[in-house]
Amino acid sequence: MIDAYIGLLVLWPVAAGLACLVLRAPALRSMLVMATAAVLAAAAVGLATQAPLTASPAFLASATALHVAQAASFLFPVYFLLMGLKEKHPLVIVFALLQLGLAAFGEFGLAAPAEVKTAVVCDGLSLALVLVVSLVGSLISIFALPYMKHHEEHLHLKTSRQPQFFMILLAFLGFMNGLALSNNLHVFSAFYEATTLCSFLLIGHDQTADAKKSGLRALWMNSMGGVFLHAGILLIQKQHGIADIQALVSPALWTGTTLLPLALIAMAACVKAAQLPFQAWLLGAMVAPTPVSALLHSSTMVKVGVFVCLRLAPVFEGTSTGRVLTLAGAFTFLAASALALGQSNAKKILAYSTAANLGLIIACAGIGTPVAIAAGVVLMVIHACTKGLLFLCVGDMEQTIGSRDLEDLRGMIATSPVTALAASAGSMAMVLPPLGMLVGKWAALEAAAASPVSMVMMAVGSALGVVCWVRFTGTLMSGVSMGSKADPAAHTSSLSTGPILTMLAGAVGLGMAAPWLNAMLLPAGVGNALGGGWGLMPPLFITAMLAWIVGIKVLGRQSQAKLATPYIGGLPSKEAGSFVGALGRNWTLSEGNEYATEFFGEPKLTKLAGVVAVALLLALVGGALI
Amino acid sequence: MNLNTFYLAVAGLILAPLVGGLVAGVDRVVTARLQSRMGPPLMQPFYDVGKLMSKVIAPASHWQGMFVRWALVASLASDVMLAAGADVLMCFFVQAASASFVALGAFCGNSPYSKLGAQRELFQLLAYEPVFMVGILCMAKAAGAFDAYSFMAAQGPLLFKMPLIVPGLLFVVLVKLRKSPFDIAASHHMHQEVVRGVYTDYAGRDFALLEIAHWADVTVVLWICSFLWATSPLTMVVTAGLFLFAALVIDNISARLTWRTMLGRVAPITLILATANLVWLYLE
Amino acid sequence: MFGSFLKTSQVKSPWLMHFDCGSCNGCDIETLACLTPVYDVERFGIINVGNPRHADVLVVTGTVNKRNAVILKNIYDQMPSPKLVIAIGACGCSGGVFREAPNVLGGVDKVIPVDVYVPGCPAKPEAIMDAVVTGLGKLKGILEAS
Repeated sequence: MIDAYIGLLVLWPVAAGLACLVLRAPALRSMLVMATAAVLAAAAVGLATQAPLTASPAFLASATALHVAQAASFLFPVYFLLMGLKEKHPLVIVFALLQLGLAAFGEFGLAAPAEVKTAVVCDGLSLALVLVVSLVGSLISIFALPYMKHHEEHLHLKTSRQPQFFMILLAFLGFMNGLALSNNLHVFSAFYEATTLCSFLLIGHDQTADAKKSGLRALWMNSMGGVFLHAGILLIQKQHGIADIQALVSPALWTGTTLLPLALIAMAACVKAAQLPFQAWLLGAMVAPTPVSALLHSSTMVKVGVFVCLRLAPVFEGTSTGRVLTLAGAFTFLAASALALGQSNAKKILAYSTAANLGLIIACAGIGTPVAIAAGVVLMVIHACTKGLLFLCVGDMEQTIGSRDLEDLRGMIATSPVTALAASAGSMAMVLPPLGMLVGKWAALEAAAASPVSMVMMAVGSALGVVCWVRFTGTLMSGVSMGSKADPAAHTSSLSTGPILTMLAGAVGLGMAAPWLNAMLLPAGVGNALGGGWGLMPPLFITAMLAWIVGIKVLGRQSQAKLATPYIGGLPSKEAGSFVGALGRNWTLSEGNEYATEFFGEPKLTKLAGVVAVALLLALVGGALI
Repeated sequence: MNLNTFYLAVAGLILAPLVGGLVAGVDRVVTARLQSRMGPPLMQPFYDVGKLMSKVIAPASHWQGMFVRWALVASLASDVMLAAGADVLMCFFVQAASASFVALGAFCGNSPYSKLGAQRELFQLLAYEPVFMVGILCMAKAAGAFDAYSFMAAQGPLLFKMPLIVPGLLFVVLVKLRKSPFDIAASHHMHQEVVRGVYTDYAGRDFALLEIAHWADVTVVLWICSFLWATSPLTMVVTAGLFLFAALVIDNISARLTWRTMLGRVAPITLILATANLVWLYLE
Repeated sequence: MFGSFLKTSQVKSPWLMHFDCGSCNGCDIETLACLTPVYDVERFGIINVGNPRHADVLVVTGTVNKRNAVILKNIYDQMPSPKLVIAIGACGCSGGVFREAPNVLGGVDKVIPVDVYVPGCPAKPEAIMDAVVTGLGKLKGILEAS
């Protein structure tokens, strides 16, 4: 049964993706995608009922499978190399060649590692990632159905490119599940490269000059991450002769030896998780259709990075490598939050905030104590839900009004109330107690007790985040002195609002359930250390529910009330958003947010933060080297 | 949770806003005396709220009533948490949520002044939150735990271990009493810079509830400041009183800041001082 | 008890808003003078606010003309009830020397109901304070009758 679940989780999406490529009829494709979503959700829940578990399904454990994984370590770099040569992109070529060299060295220059006994180990952490991928990822795929139809209508394509799109999208989910479950470093790295490939193809999907450029940027950065990962794996192989991930993460193995391999793998994770100074590929991913950016940001790709770090976290506890990683993560949290605050592009705000929150999770991993790991896992799951929701909402609103600028989204609550309210709730769920993101942040802050500087960075980053999200919500819910702009019935599809509302329920529900969630989703061997600390939560939930009920009652009463005329000094005119001013004329009122670019301007801040982040990462590797 | 904690929580729920109201009254009387005036009666803030309660006016947005209630609940909850000896850091987050709700309600209003106020309110939040948080972290480090009872049970006054967070806390008190910055303009006295900032669109009963929430906030802030010398209840009251008086004197003898100066100068300086103090505590 | 406290509060906390309807600035200066520390109107709980949504007492100086009548009406409408209006100075009371000008409508009471009139050109600060207190007495009478 367990083998069947794992098979469905990993192989079904890949097969369904291939079927999408062959069966080109839109109706069939919709059915396939929905069936995949159902299968993934069922299998993930099925797996959750059996966890924690170990298994060795043939397709991951057999000798053939291992050969395929080995071949993949050559095939992916070769493909990247060809792409680099085709596009004449020197960085892609260099990193592909480096990867090839490392693969060849591992194959011919090193003794084979000890055989891995169990191919799949599914503990709470793996399960968390599987659930995120299978539930959030599936919802995003369903959302993609109406979105891509609309998107292609907008682009006026002759032949639909949706079959390729959905093939990659679905296969991506399968690879992610494989990555979460596999216990063999080589199989893991094959899946890792597969996600790099998928993200490259998805970002470049629209084939515009911008999309191509961003795709290649994602490719070279992530293959650089691949180089770090391979180097780390080879060093482990040389040092300890093992490829078993569970055996690898026991702190006993690493006493007295250098942590350099793990530092390298953490570097790779930082690239995947778009930590500063590697945030550029994630920002570039915005050019892709919304489902892609939602998928890359919330449930897949970037989650690989934090997953790897959390997996290694027990080893990092109390080491100097762990401390530097904490600093690097906390610094990304601070700097990316500041960058988010200076943006008016809604998708960029989301992208920077993603980098920031992942930084927080990586900081948790660097601390490595049970409390910190617990906080990290909670943040990972809830961030996936919340950020997925926000991306879908922004994408939906973008299709409604044709702009993703926060200034144009002002007062969207009048234009598309469901989506705007969902987005508001999602963005408040990023910062409000007692919801999960804040609870995670709180636990992280208290867990960081050993590192005062990272505590301060987290404190500042947290304040920046609050400001950013409250402003985001406030702009969406902005009052009606501006009048409405677009036709409310422009487009609505139950396939797009369905996933949005489900994600909303997930984001808020899981946010509320964080303490219990946390007990369920811990890596093997980590006790639930927050038992006492969470005791505060239930009274807070009750208070929040009471406030909610009172608020909704008042809302119900006030929503019937006639509104006062806006106070605009003297005389508002009849038309919304204007007033009678000098010369007896109607003057239009224009509103805008304060972005305080003298403090949070992107060009200056990116440079400054980049320098610090590079220094921290060098310290990470250099410290381990010495 | 034992019965004792429960009584304390109820006491916090009822007394904290009243104390906050008295603080507001003291604020106005002392300010008046510093300007050689008589000033209003001590109970004036309560009269103001009573009057606002009985006013009838159309709301500026359908959402404001909801946000006001949420802000009130969050503010009162933070008081109750302190009274019941809960985690001080979480108490701070709950209080920050209250400030967020106030800003959100202002965003929902239909007057541009209200939205302007909301923007500035957020930047003000950005300026004082980090230093306040670092102050709490310092206290937690010295006390060895994050709950309020441990703060109060710490051996000897915490002040001597963390002199450098005093400017930061004073800054927080000044902001929370709505003394600085002047271009947020929500104070009673110099309030005509940009109408009334974040409060512009709130009126009538909503405004009264918001005022009560503000009292609760002031109590929380002064209470946390009083942890600096928490050897007995009397010293705590005196410490809080000293912070209040210092804030009033600073307000009366110096010019108020704009939010830009606050964010660009005051916030970094106080934050650096507090951080230095935190690092000291670790080096000890 | 709570109800009587609310009623008492209404007469103990008059927040006033000053609107210059076209005054020569004489009455404006006197009005502002009574808000200075010398006269200390905060003794009576009076606060000068800049926002009609918070104001209880509208203090109007100057004549009402055809252009600003609608603004005056708008500000009055934006105030929460119960509310008081005090017309200050000869112009506010009746239009004063500008009464016969072609663009002038007359006193404040041509547009909105006025509770207290303060004569004088300009009115004295003491008279203005007295007007507020008289207005509050009137309000108290209304509240007790209800």
